[in-house]
Amino acid sequence: MVNKVKVNLKLNGERFSAEIDPRMLLCDFIRDVAGLTGTHIGCMTGNCGACTVLMNGRTVKSCTILAAQANGSDITTIEGLSKGLELNPIQRAFHKRYAVQCGYCTPGMIITAHYLLSLGKTLSRQEIREHISGNLCRCTGYQNIIDAIEELLRDKGLLR
Amino acid sequence: MVSLYDIQVFTPRTLEEALELLDKMGGRTKIIAGGTDLIIQMRHGLAPRRDLINIYGLRELRYIREEHGMVRIGALTTFSEIAASEPIQKHVPFLAEAANTIGSIQIMNKATIGGNLVNASPAADSLPPLYVLDASVKIVGRKGERTVSIERFYKGYKKMDIAPDEILAEISFKIPDTDGRGLFFKHGLRLGDAISVVNGAVWMRRREGVIEDVKISLGAVAPTVVRARRSEEILKGAKPDDENLRQAARAVIHDISPIDDVRGSAGYRAEMAVNYVYMALKRLVMGR
Ligand code: FES
Ligand code: FES
Repeated sequence: MVNKVKVNLKLNGERFSAEIDPRMLLCDFIRDVAGLTGTHIGCMTGNCGACTVLMNGRTVKSCTILAAQANGSDITTIEGLSKGLELNPIQRAFHKRYAVQCGYCTPGMIITAHYLLSLGKTLSRQEIREHISGNLCRCTGYQNIIDAIEELLRDKGLLR
Repeated sequence: MVSLYDIQVFTPRTLEEALELLDKMGGRTKIIAGGTDLIIQMRHGLAPRRDLINIYGLRELRYIREEHGMVRIGALTTFSEIAASEPIQKHVPFLAEAANTIGSIQIMNKATIGGNLVNASPAADSLPPLYVLDASVKIVGRKGERTVSIERFYKGYKKMDIAPDEILAEISFKIPDTDGRGLFFKHGLRLGDAISVVNGAVWMRRREGVIEDVKISLGAVAPTVVRARRSEEILKGAKPDDENLRQAARAVIHDISPIDDVRGSAGYRAEMAVNYVYMALKRLVMGR
């Protein structure tokens, strides 16, 4: 016998609720229940960061959270950062700087970049590296990713 | 990888409710807070698969308060909150620094200090600062609450003074003297989500050319975090010259008992512990 739990949350600005198994992970909830496959799953061990989403405005790795723990929270996935096919400024910067190779890490990287920009802190290149250290790029395309984030910070006058 | 298919999760709305649930099913359940480590441990079969009591949403356990010369941290406070907290940065910057090195930002945003404590890894980065602060933990149960010093709380490798029907609710410590200085260090194998090979904290107060008081703690080099008491004894009342610092650093081996594992050999750990304690003492003495 397994009891179901009801999860009510805000997903990319809209109310979303579902009855799910209590042990379901948030990453599976987002992909399989809500059908938003932009959030990737790389390692399922909390290491790679591909599954990064925003929970109440803060980045978390959705493979380390039960969907039940996200009840009542505000979740933003990569789909929530852009309007339809129109790219947002972070996506444009990644595009322009060739910060995407296979693209597997990209949604997580962009969510992390979005969070980093939302902090409004002045950062150096080294600090950008530290900020994205929870996101692994298995294509090892870090330089271009950091270039893209640097450019975004520069545009805001936040690059040291 | 183990599936969690037969696990049930209960989400109490208040601490009271959580304690009631624990009272009923304490031995058969496990408490989940941030879950950043527990979920992975369970999936890898490293933690027994038990039904979960999810306390992550209990706001009453999420706070940082400064009162009567004490700092009190609710068990569900995240490391991001601790690292950014004004009273923590002001009074115990080395604890803020430790909070900052717990893991990547995604982990800091979710992982809680109480979770880190009951996870009881001897390599937990939040512990060495709490050991030099002589911190205490507040344990609550349906029958009441009690306070235990952090050193007494850990009784051995992953062994804690907490019953299945109790919850670790708060961590508190006295604000240290303003004329002392503390420092946290961590030796990991990579930046980011690295588990410490050796970590530790040192707190020191000098007066009139001698070391008046000093506290040294080390993690990942024994079944629990330890205080390097022999080293502390050598330094108390001594001149902070290079010879004394070296002798004290070498003495840490009396209080540690490192093991070999994937992250390093026992010999390597011992050597790193000595070196890091020396460097930390030196930095404090040089005022850097
Ligand atoms: S899939 Fe979550 S961190 Fe890798
Ligand atoms: S672009 Fe391939 S993993 Fe980063």
